[in-house]
Amino acid sequence: MSDQQEPKYDVVWPISKRAVKKTLAAKRIPDLNGKVIVELWDVIFRGEVIYPLVREYIKKRFPNVQFVPYTEIGNFHGAREHQVTATIADKLKHFKADAAIVGIGA
Amino acid sequence: MLRAAALIEKLGIPTASIIGSGFLKQAEVVSKGLGVPLAIGVYPGAPMVDSEAELIRKVEESLAPGLLEGLIGKIQTLENEDEQPDIKKVVFSGTLDDVQDYFYQKMWTDGLPIIPPTKQRVEAFLSFTDRLPEEVIAVLPQEGREASIESIAVTGVMSGCKPEYMPILIAIIEAMSDPVFRIQDCGSTPGWEPVVIIGGPIIKELDFNFGQGMMRFGRKSNTSIGRFVRMYLRNICGYRIPPGAGDKGSIGQSFLVAMAEDEDSAREFGWPTYAQDRGFESSENIVTVHSVVSISSPIYSAGDRAIDHVQQWADLVGSSFTYWAHTGFKTGMWNPLIVSSPSVAKVIAKEWTKDQVRQYLYDHIKVSAKKITHYAKMTSTPTFSLKNLVDGGILPEEYHLSDDPERLLNVIIHPSMVEIIVSGDPGRNQSRAYMGNHIQGPPTSRKISLPATWPAPRKEY
Repeated sequence: MSDQQEPKYDVVWPISKRAVKKTLAAKRIPDLNGKVIVELWDVIFRGEVIYPLVREYIKKRFPNVQFVPYTEIGNFHGAREHQVTATIADKLKHFKADAAIVGIGA
Repeated sequence: MLRAAALIEKLGIPTASIIGSGFLKQAEVVSKGLGVPLAIGVYPGAPMVDSEAELIRKVEESLAPGLLEGLIGKIQTLENEDEQPDIKKVVFSGTLDDVQDYFYQKMWTDGLPIIPPTKQRVEAFLSFTDRLPEEVIAVLPQEGREASIESIAVTGVMSGCKPEYMPILIAIIEAMSDPVFRIQDCGSTPGWEPVVIIGGPIIKELDFNFGQGMMRFGRKSNTSIGRFVRMYLRNICGYRIPPGAGDKGSIGQSFLVAMAEDEDSAREFGWPTYAQDRGFESSENIVTVHSVVSISSPIYSAGDRAIDHVQQWADLVGSSFTYWAHTGFKTGMWNPLIVSSPSVAKVIAKEWTKDQVRQYLYDHIKVSAKKITHYAKMTSTPTFSLKNLVDGGILPEEYHLSDDPERLLNVIIHPSMVEIIVSGDPGRNQSRAYMGNHIQGPPTSRKISLPATWPAPRKEY
């Protein structure tokens, strides 16, 4: 397609810089016995069935784990997202959360 | 959803997230944009179509083990940052065809040919703003990139805009960067598309089409600005369809050309313009960005009384949008935008104000509680409950005055949520309605700031 006469274009990068500060993940917990897992659910995609099954699965392996059900945090997505999200840190502290399960993206 | 997981992870609490297998690539993009590695338990396929037995099996065999491993096992660190050249740096030299191929291969185009973003062309755009090229309006999801003035200029060049559109392009990105607009939801599965609505004297100054065929490709200002929006979402925010990731519109739709109002007609009929409805003066130049998840059929209406036309609007807006209104019920808002041809608006405006039109539509579009609950359950929310939405203050009390499943509810949650613009073919009795996607992309307006030298002499490029 191109020939010697065809002009050349010097083009700039069309994407902009990432402005993200990378963070390491939190330390994992090999033994969940005696620990508290807080659930967060955005009230979609059959979480009302899925979360109890997940609880059961984890409890079978760590019988002394405790769950704080998703109803305690409330729907963190949608109409009240900003208000609910603003309370997450305090609520996790209140429940002495050691870990969290967040869903559902599907 | 992953933003909440990232927030918790950054508090030092290990987190595992539930993700459907079809969303893993998007999750990678989001995780990188949030700057924190996230542990994920995968649900294979789509939970909304699995039997109870299948769901139990998938949770036990895949999801729950993945979540548990995410909490107790090792978690991968994020990949090293991709190359980040200076935006002013020349990254490629070649012929027009070479540039097209290079950009396409890098997923930096929308599939259509682009105008090569040379320094000279970018500078021509920058000459139409008083703002510094490196000024950052916001850091945008999903990739966590800077929405700089320069990035707007580059995308404007590529989309085929003219340099003098630059003040409009900046106002668009300012509007879309407003947290109220929720640009983080531009890649959601309903596949909504932003539409830009222009108001003010700039409509005529920059030759926007507000007459017949106003939503067709063909007029440079309307078309290239519409293309710019999608290009910006793709390149700067990272909403790409496969083989890219980030845009999960299941079927999706393509860019909408910018709308402009026939403001002279609106004024002639005694109605406020759309920009005035949004709280601005008629002398101001305004952009409003508004999500569009669905478009009605053409609505033809006949008669010389207001009711003849507004009744038809109620019928057609109702039949077009009632199904998806359940998403508005879940979030407490959704906005129908009606584009009325001047000939129809003229008849209505003789008898009714815009507020009377809004009230009529609010009063006359109805759905049964049973039906709207069914729609919500089909889409994503088996636990949908009007009672809970009223108790939670998301819907007004009138939505749960009884438990009668046959009771009728207003599809439009409040009359003020109805928007009306006069535009289109003055020679035909046609209107059309556009549905916003609940709280995702609600109408968000910004004043267009023109440079001190406007209309500036155009630089050669």
